[in-house]
Amino acid sequence: MAEVLARLSSQAKALGLGTLLLVVACSTGGGGTSGGGASTTDVTVWTAWGGDELKAFRDVLKPFQDSTGIKVHLTTNRDSTNQIANGIAAGTDLPDVAPGPTDPNLVKSWISKGALKPMETILGDKFNDYISNTYPALTTPAAGQSDNPYILVVGGKHYALMVKTQVKGLFWYNKKVFTGTAPKTFDELLGLNPSQFGGAKSLFCAGFESGAASGWPASDQIDNIIMRQSGDQIYTNWIQGKVKFTDPAIKLGYQTFLKEVSDSAVFGGRNTALSTNFGKAGDPMFNSPPGCLFLEQATFIANFFHQNKGVTAGTDFDFFAHPSINSQYDGNVNGFYDQFSVYNDTPAARKLMQYLATKDAQQIWADDGGTLGAIKTLKYKDPIFARAAEIASGAKNLLVTAGDFMPADMQKAFWQSLLNVTRNPGSLDSELKHLDQVQAASYATS
Amino acid sequence: MDQIITAVVAVVGVPLVLLGYIIGGEKVMERLPDRLQGWARPYFWALPAVGFATIFMVYPMVRTVIISFRNNDDTEWIGLANYKYFFTFPDTLTALRNSVAWLVFYTFFAVFLGLIIAILVDRVRYESLAKIAIFLPVPISAVAASIIWKFMFDYQPPGTTQTGTLNAVLATFGRDPVAWLITGPFVNNAALIFVGIWTAVGFCMVIISASLKAISSEVLEAARIDGATELQIVRLVVTPLLWPTITVVGTTMLINALKTFDIVYVMTNGAYDTDVIATRMFSQLQSSHFGRAAAVGVVLFIAIVPLLIVNIRRFQQQEEQR
Repeated sequence: MAEVLARLSSQAKALGLGTLLLVVACSTGGGGTSGGGASTTDVTVWTAWGGDELKAFRDVLKPFQDSTGIKVHLTTNRDSTNQIANGIAAGTDLPDVAPGPTDPNLVKSWISKGALKPMETILGDKFNDYISNTYPALTTPAAGQSDNPYILVVGGKHYALMVKTQVKGLFWYNKKVFTGTAPKTFDELLGLNPSQFGGAKSLFCAGFESGAASGWPASDQIDNIIMRQSGDQIYTNWIQGKVKFTDPAIKLGYQTFLKEVSDSAVFGGRNTALSTNFGKAGDPMFNSPPGCLFLEQATFIANFFHQNKGVTAGTDFDFFAHPSINSQYDGNVNGFYDQFSVYNDTPAARKLMQYLATKDAQQIWADDGGTLGAIKTLKYKDPIFARAAEIASGAKNLLVTAGDFMPADMQKAFWQSLLNVTRNPGSLDSELKHLDQVQAASYATS
Repeated sequence: MDQIITAVVAVVGVPLVLLGYIIGGEKVMERLPDRLQGWARPYFWALPAVGFATIFMVYPMVRTVIISFRNNDDTEWIGLANYKYFFTFPDTLTALRNSVAWLVFYTFFAVFLGLIIAILVDRVRYESLAKIAIFLPVPISAVAASIIWKFMFDYQPPGTTQTGTLNAVLATFGRDPVAWLITGPFVNNAALIFVGIWTAVGFCMVIISASLKAISSEVLEAARIDGATELQIVRLVVTPLLWPTITVVGTTMLINALKTFDIVYVMTNGAYDTDVIATRMFSQLQSSHFGRAAAVGVVLFIAIVPLLIVNIRRFQQQEEQR
C-alpha cells in the first residue's frame, strides 16, 4: 500500500511539474519584452514605419543610443492600436513607447485607464521648449478650447509627442507643361483651359484606388475644400459627428468636389479616376501630350513621381498651395502628423522622448528627406519640403484629415460615398442621407 | 530573448504536460478495478480534447452570443438593439442582399460547372491534364486570386492601351472598356462572384469526379443496352447516383458563400455596394462596435448551423451505405 502511495505521489509530482510548465508557458505567452520594470537601460518602441521611414528613424535613434547607452528595441507593428487595446484590456505588458490612438474615444478611454502618460511629466522641464518649438497647430487646441483629442490634448494635458508632419492638398504640376502663375482662387483654378498648356487633355488627374482603403485620396480633396469653404469650426465639428452630412456646408463641399472629378475635368473620365491607383495618378502629367495639368496630393507624392517617371523635384515638377476658396479661411491647412505616446513611464522612455523632442533629433529626419519634422525651425535641403514647411508654419490651423479621425465604419462609409458620387453624381442626396444614418449609428457608443 | 524562452517552454512544455497526463493517468487507471477502468478510460482520453474544444470553441461561442446582447463596453444589457441594427440598417441590408446573391449564384455555378466538367473530362483521354487545369486555382489563396483578377479586370481610359485582359479583349473588338469592379450593382457583384467560382470549381470537380469513378460501369452499360442516350444517362442515371455527393459539395459551397470575406475585402472592400455579411462584421469590429459585430456573427452562425447538420447527416448516411 505504501509503495502504491509513493508511486502515486511521484506521478503526481510529474503531473504537477507539467502543469507548472503549462502555467509558465501561458503566463509568458502573451507578454511583451519590457517586463514591466522601470528600466534605465532599455526601451521598447513600436512604430508603423517600414522601409525608408524606418531607416530614417534608426538614423534618428543612433546618436541617442550612442550617447546614452540606452538600447532601443524597435519593432514595426502596423496593428499597434488593436494590440495595445487588447493589452490594456488583458492587463498584459505594453510597449514603453508607441503611437497613441487616433480615435478620440480610444484616446479618452485610455487616458481614463491611465495607460497614456502626459508629456508634461515625461518631458519635465523640457516640456515648455517642446511647446514653443513645435508647430502650434500640432500642440495647441483652437482658441477658446482647452481640449482637442485629435492631437491628444485632453484635460489640458498632452498625451503624445509630435515628431513628424506632412502637408496635404498641394497641387502638383509638370513645370514644362504648366508655365502659368499659380491661381489665387479655386474658381480661377477651375477656369483654366488645359489645352492652352502643351495641349493637355484635362485639368486634373486623379486616382482614388488604394486597395481596401480606396477613396481616401478623394477624401483629402473634399477635406481641403470644406476647411477652406466653410471654415475650421464646421470642419472639426463635422469630424466629431456634430455636423451632419446633409448640412448645407458639407453638401456644398461635395458639390465642389464633384466639379474636380466631372468627366470633362478629370483625365480619362470618372471611371479612370476611380480605377487608378493613387500612386500612379500623376503619371499622365508627364506624358506627351500631357494627360492633365494638376494632381492634388500630399508632400509624399514627390517620391512616386521620381520612382515612376524618373523626374526630379524642383526642376521637372513643382507644386502650389491649395488656392483660396473663402479668403476668411485662408490659414486652414490640411496636414497629418506622426506621434508617440508613452505607455510605461520608465527613466529610459523619458530620456528617449526628451531626445525626440529636440531640434537635433528632428533635423536628422529632415536631412533624410521625405518628411517634415514637427519643429518649426528645421532646415530642408529638398526645395519641395522647404516650401511645404513654409506652408505648415504659415498655417493658422493645421487641420487633421477628416476620415482618419472618424470611427472606422464612418470612415469607410465616407470614403466610399466619395467613390459613389464620383461614379454617379445624381446619387448625391441619397448618399448624404445614408451618411447621416451611418453617422448616427457609428458615433453612438453602444 | 524572452520570446525564445517562451517558445521553448511552449514547444517542449505543452507536449510534456500532455505526456505526463497520459502516462501518469494511465498508471492511475491501471490500479482501478477492471469495471471502473472500462468506464473511466474513454472519458480520461477524451478529456484533453473536450477541454481544448471547450476553452477555444464553446466558450468563445457562448461569449459571442452574450456580447451580441450587450453594449460596446460590455457593461449593460441592451436587448435586441444590435440585431435590430443588423436587420434594419441599409448597409447591412445591402450586404445581406449580396450574400444571398453569393449563396445562389456562387453555389449553383461552382457545383453545376464542377459536375459538368467532371462528367465531360471523364470521357476524354487527356482527363488528368484537363482536371489539373481546372484544379489549378484551388490551391491559390483567395487573396492572391483576388489580386490576379484585379489585374484581369483592370481599367484604363478609353482610347489608351488596355492593360486588363478582359478590357484588352473588348478593345480588340472595338468596344469601350468596362469598369468591372465599379459598374454596379450587377456587373461588379457578378465579377466578384465569378472570382469566387473560379477558385471553387476545381474543388467541386475533384470531389464529384471521385464519386463518379465509383459508379459501376455495369449500370451505365445496362442503361445503354436499354437504349438510353448519353444525355439521358447523365440526367437519369449519373446525376441521381451522384446526388449525395452533390449535396455535400453543395452545402460546403453554401457555407463558403456565407463566409465570403477575402475576395470582397481585397478587391473592393465593399465599395460600390459590394459588401457581404462577413465584411460588415469586420468593419463593425474595426470600429469597436463589438456588440454589433457579435450579432452579425451570431446571425451568420445560425444561418450556417442547418447546413452543417445536413452535411454531417449526409456524411453519416454515406458511411452507413459503405
